[in-house]
Amino acid sequence: MTLSRLYRIAQQRLRSVLHTDAADEELSRELALHFELLVEELQADGMTREDAQRAARRAVGNVPLLEQQCRDHRRVSWLLDLQQDIVYGWRMLRTNPGFTAVATLSLAIGIGANTAILSVIDAVMRASLAIPQDDRLVVVRTYPLDDPNQETHALLDDYTIWRDASRSFAVMGLALGNQADFGADGDTAPAERIQGQAVSGGTLSALAVQPILGRFFTASETDFGPPSPVMTISHRLWQRRFGSRSDIVGQTARLDRVTRTIVGVMPEGFHYPSEGVDYWIPLGQNEPARLPSRARFFVVTARLKDGVTLEQAQSDMNLIAARQGKEDPDRHRGWGVRVKPVRDAMYGWTRERLLTLEAAVVLVLLVACANLAGLLLARGLARVPEISMRAALGAGRLRIVRQLLAESVLLSLIGGALGVLVAMGGIRVLVGMNPPPGGVKIVDVAVDLRTLGLTALISLTTGLVFGLVPALMSARSGPNKILKDSPAAVTTTVTPRLRNAFVAVQIAVTVVLLVASGLLMRSFLQVATRDIGFDPARLLTFEIHVPMSDYMHRARSGDPWNFEIDPSPAVTFERIYRELTTVPGVESVAGSSFGLLNSVVVPSTNVDVISTTGPRSASGGAAALAIGIGRQSTHLMDRRSLSAAYFLVTPGFFTAIKAALVGGRDFAATDISSSPWVAIVNESAANRFWPGQNPVGRRFTMPGNPDEHPREVIGIVRDIPLTVEGQVTPVIYTSYLQQPLRHLQPVTMFGQMMFMVRASGDPLTLLPAARRIVTDIDPDRPLSNIATMEWRLGSVMPIRGYIAFAITAFALAATLLAAIGIYGVLAHSVSQRVREIGIRFALGAGAYEVVMLIGRRALMVLSLGLAAGLAVSLMLTRLLQSQLWNVEPTDPVTFASVTIMLTIVALAAALIPIRRAAGVNPTVALRCE
Amino acid sequence: MPKPSDLLQGTLDLLILKTLVREPLHGWAISKRIQLLSDDVLAVQQGSLYPALHRLEQQGWVTAEWKGTDQGRNGKFYTLTRDGKRQLERELESWKRLSSAVGLLLERA
Repeated sequence: MTLSRLYRIAQQRLRSVLHTDAADEELSRELALHFELLVEELQADGMTREDAQRAARRAVGNVPLLEQQCRDHRRVSWLLDLQQDIVYGWRMLRTNPGFTAVATLSLAIGIGANTAILSVIDAVMRASLAIPQDDRLVVVRTYPLDDPNQETHALLDDYTIWRDASRSFAVMGLALGNQADFGADGDTAPAERIQGQAVSGGTLSALAVQPILGRFFTASETDFGPPSPVMTISHRLWQRRFGSRSDIVGQTARLDRVTRTIVGVMPEGFHYPSEGVDYWIPLGQNEPARLPSRARFFVVTARLKDGVTLEQAQSDMNLIAARQGKEDPDRHRGWGVRVKPVRDAMYGWTRERLLTLEAAVVLVLLVACANLAGLLLARGLARVPEISMRAALGAGRLRIVRQLLAESVLLSLIGGALGVLVAMGGIRVLVGMNPPPGGVKIVDVAVDLRTLGLTALISLTTGLVFGLVPALMSARSGPNKILKDSPAAVTTTVTPRLRNAFVAVQIAVTVVLLVASGLLMRSFLQVATRDIGFDPARLLTFEIHVPMSDYMHRARSGDPWNFEIDPSPAVTFERIYRELTTVPGVESVAGSSFGLLNSVVVPSTNVDVISTTGPRSASGGAAALAIGIGRQSTHLMDRRSLSAAYFLVTPGFFTAIKAALVGGRDFAATDISSSPWVAIVNESAANRFWPGQNPVGRRFTMPGNPDEHPREVIGIVRDIPLTVEGQVTPVIYTSYLQQPLRHLQPVTMFGQMMFMVRASGDPLTLLPAARRIVTDIDPDRPLSNIATMEWRLGSVMPIRGYIAFAITAFALAATLLAAIGIYGVLAHSVSQRVREIGIRFALGAGAYEVVMLIGRRALMVLSLGLAAGLAVSLMLTRLLQSQLWNVEPTDPVTFASVTIMLTIVALAAALIPIRRAAGVNPTVALRCE
Repeated sequence: MPKPSDLLQGTLDLLILKTLVREPLHGWAISKRIQLLSDDVLAVQQGSLYPALHRLEQQGWVTAEWKGTDQGRNGKFYTLTRDGKRQLERELESWKRLSSAVGLLLERA
């Protein structure tokens, strides 16, 4: 094949494709010339013109056939045919906009949503933790056996036992959460409160992470003697606060007034064990022992031994936990141990919720494909006569199949293109969701091409397979038979059973989605409309911390108590409180030791009720303050003792936050250290400690502290939940000014207060004034955790809300698809049986009977689908339990509403075909085919 | 006009190509020339000629252009290309081989 020949061939091909008409016209001119010359020749032989022409025509033969043969040699007919197929297919799609819209939409949603979710999951799953071999690193936590979802960290005891008894871990370490104020550094770095972690040598070994600058701690720094004043900082802290300076190693910073030397900078993205952690300090040998023994605060990190699987480690720990429960029931009974891969521990919430979304999306894909299949099937059946006609006219089987394929491919391409758009938009929506504190912020998500490809493939295959139905049908019966029979008879050869099965499946899947969405929505609404017990409007909130070293000092040796508070931070808080009340625009000021909502840690205390017959104590000898994790703090306290959460508040607290006092009075400025010590309890506490009686006037003590005075209950307040989603627990409120000054152990809660300032206008306008007041007292003291109360409430919602709304969107899409499916089935059935209906009418049947006849099949399909869907829902919704709040997975109201709603939708969808059936004119039906 | 004999497609190609060696011709002229040069034995019908011509054109053995005939009409004239000339020689070779083989067979049988 020479180059010139190749060129010529290409030229010819191009011409045939691009200038088809010109080439065809040329061809007929050429043949016409030949014809004309032949006629002339015959004339010259003596024939008349007409005879000559007749003879010539006979000689030439079938001109169109000849032209076609010449055209065939152009070797591009396949291309031209394809072009024709595409144009025809496009026209078919355009003239059936309803079908096209639904089909492409189904494809788009199925492909796009799936891809978006999976892309995000993939990004989260593969996000770099900056820890080498992070799949071997685990976090070991404890959880109450009767509430497995309330995980918490470990006791110090747990760590020692686990480290000695377990055989699954190569190394295990301890760490403790920490927060500190970074002291102001001139103008460039204001004081700010930053989260950190105190780590032991074991944790460092387990993490096996190397700083990118400097070094991590040595064993002597972490494990022997008092903790060294060194620290390492995170990459982003280094960038943000220290301007990425190259001489950072060796610099000092003031942390809670302790000067520490920065010895290293951690790699980018390293924020163990939670996203908010920005610095690490050594734990020290003695620190852990200082915390109350019941404090489940210790983060236990471990690295699996080579060859040990997660499951093996888990069973190992289960045995150990059981043994712990037997040997020391007081402390360990009722607690289980969970070994979690670090990735799950850090990103836990995201994965669970995203997986729920993913399950929903798979279901929608299923519905979409079923719908697509059903649509194509129905349309295909209707076109069988047309196809057979074409076959009879000479179209080859291959040609017909090709043309149908072109239509399906076109449909799939459009749907696929839309799907990509949906995927990109979906990713943007998901990334824009605010993760709750502790979750990872997903930033860089690209469309996952594998997922896109896979879902596209599934959908397209469905489209292609079912698009070929009419060709297969006509091939089976043969065109002759098909054309002879009436259209009605043709379609009875196809199993409508298949079509009905599709619709039943669609309905079942839709039911599952609707139930899930109903449950999640109810849950969301419950949380959103929950009565939080106070008025959150226009509240500016911020925290002030006084470092413990400022106020808590070791007492002289020989004293029975170890620590005393001097000077009391209450003095500082009082000053701030008073100054805040004078700021213009401030309606009221309230302060409490911990935030009213979303507090992670809330102390609790044992309560000894003083009955008229003397002090009655329920449990003996617990530590003065047992610390629990707020949310369901009752679980973490020994249930046999009477205990309650414990808040310190400012005078006039409840009036300021507009909580409802159901009895007695609020704290007043007169309740100071020298006046009788008082307390206010909430309704739950009143019910627990003084069941059936009025607690006002009753007295109690909080045991364990020598300086504690008996307190008199002066008021009862309506329950304020500890977190928006938490249950109410008993709470005791006391005044800041009435606190013991000597303690057995250091307690941080006296040094912190969350102020809630109600503004008459926009609360954020008060911020500069508040900042000024605080910095005037101490320039090193930052305001931390600044937010409006409404923002706090709102920040809990988004995830729940988004999930609920997303699932609802899916459910509605599925419902629409299912409705169309039902409509299709009935319309098909009616058109199939028009003659039969006509006959029945003619024979005297009433409209009702005919409707029942048609509707019976639809009813059967609906019932089957509903039953299957409800059954599957009952089994599957259990998986949603962790995301439901105050709603049972088998909530009958939801199930009932879904059933009713779907039935109504089905009836609505059935309306049109049924009316058509009822309106069939028997004479018309019988006459036409 | 004598009845046309059956011609193999390859043979027809050979004839057409040979006819075009001397000068470009249009379809009618080609068929007339073949008829003339074969003493009226071979008469190529339109039904075979034009598909063959078009195939030759598509294959690049000949090119075509529209010119005026000597009678003042417009016709599509086919010209042999250089590749076509080489193809002609190849076809000639195989024709010679074929015909001598047939002759040999007939002699010996």
